[in-house]
Amino acid sequence: MHPIKISDLRFKYEEAQKNILDGINLELAAGKITAILGLSGCGKTTLCYCMCGIIPHIYHGHLDGEILLFGNPLHKMELSRIARSIGIIFQDPDTQLFSPTVEDEIAFGPENLCLDREEIAQRIEICLKLVNMEKHRFEHPENLSGGEKQLIAIASVLAMDPDLLIFDESLAQIDADGKERVKNVMLQLKTLGKSVVLVEHDPDNLAIADDIFFLKSGKLEAINITNKREFDELYKI
Amino acid sequence: MSKFSIEADIRSKLAVVLGFSTIAVFIQHIYVLSFILIISIAAALLFGANILKAIKTTRNLWYLFFIIVILQSIFSRSGQALLAINGFPLITAGGVLKGGEFLMRVSVIVFSATIISTSNSREVVQGLVQLKIPYDIAFMVSVAIRFLPLLRSEIKDTFTAIQLRGLDLKKIPLKRRIRVYLYIFNPVVAGAIRKARGLSIAMEMRAFRAYRKRTSFLKLRLSAADYFIMVFTLIFTSAVFVMFYYFNFPAGII
Repeated sequence: MHPIKISDLRFKYEEAQKNILDGINLELAAGKITAILGLSGCGKTTLCYCMCGIIPHIYHGHLDGEILLFGNPLHKMELSRIARSIGIIFQDPDTQLFSPTVEDEIAFGPENLCLDREEIAQRIEICLKLVNMEKHRFEHPENLSGGEKQLIAIASVLAMDPDLLIFDESLAQIDADGKERVKNVMLQLKTLGKSVVLVEHDPDNLAIADDIFFLKSGKLEAINITNKREFDELYKI
Repeated sequence: MSKFSIEADIRSKLAVVLGFSTIAVFIQHIYVLSFILIISIAAALLFGANILKAIKTTRNLWYLFFIIVILQSIFSRSGQALLAINGFPLITAGGVLKGGEFLMRVSVIVFSATIISTSNSREVVQGLVQLKIPYDIAFMVSVAIRFLPLLRSEIKDTFTAIQLRGLDLKKIPLKRRIRVYLYIFNPVVAGAIRKARGLSIAMEMRAFRAYRKRTSFLKLRLSAADYFIMVFTLIFTSAVFVMFYYFNFPAGII
């Protein structure tokens, strides 16, 4: 079963004149890394929001078409139920971390799911190990570097044990070393059978992707990029 | 935290702060307030609070307090005139006393509140939850506290951006400076709202308020020392009230 199946998705923000997403069709492959490219303002983040239920549950607008999350219509599911299946990591780690220690940050999601303490402790350990941040467990997230903060944001989302992870330009604000660490985590997630959606700008980060799609004029198109020249061609208006 | 500090549960710290603050609010006597101020500073140091850092952080607030003290000295006239213009008493002993009491009162509240800063926000939230305060309310308070530095950095960034464009805020006239502040109001508020929204979405996507109840990984346990602190605070606070209201000790000054 596809983690996400999108059929003829159209979306328009309330104040907007035209659809930002205009007939999107996508069948996400399970256990693979799928990259979505596109120019600034083309609707990549809007598509991410539609895939994880932020639209229409938090942001509203005119939504048509169908999104199935593991076969279930997404718009009928409660956000808390969606959060068990999909995790999203945003661009700015500072707006994702709010707890005084890394441990508390990771525990926040499982606590909301009413898991018992033993289970939470186990998840904290597993997630910290996965992102290789065990030694920072009792530190304040504010004292970490941008890349480390993003790794903690990933660990916090992973603690919910989702099957699909969306990285919405999550590599944009971090240094080269941080990018490599986050990409390694994505590859590890893939080996664990998780599906990953990577929304990206940088061609250097596409090497880990199995499938690449390009979003233009509200439509999604499967592409094949093998070098930087092809990538630059795509971005020529 | 210093190595001589007391390791205590947030609930016993809250009891101490509540006790001292209650005395400071209800008893208007400079001797009592001075005594409580000394005790609250000693308690803050015992709990490992960084008093100097607290003074530095609340620096601008202290300027405001001093202005209020001066205004209170001028406007509340009683007792002997200390400064008079053409026979009109401008500053009186009673006014100065009132100003001093105000300063003592806010100092007790500020210094005793530093005791809470020795626990992290998660412990504060958990302490409140275990005191039967609804989690949503306790958590919102902690997020609001977390949000203040974000707002401060937003304001700082906006000011830096303006000054990098060649506008030295210290050298322009007050009227123009106020106009600049009005200009930056919108972007700062918009930026803060954007960040707050990002934070709330991140929380929702981690199932915040998914169920009416939630479990907690952190569990606080009261030790014998915590019980002792709470009982001692209760006895001390009651004793101060009884001495002041029942035995009228210490007597009034003016």
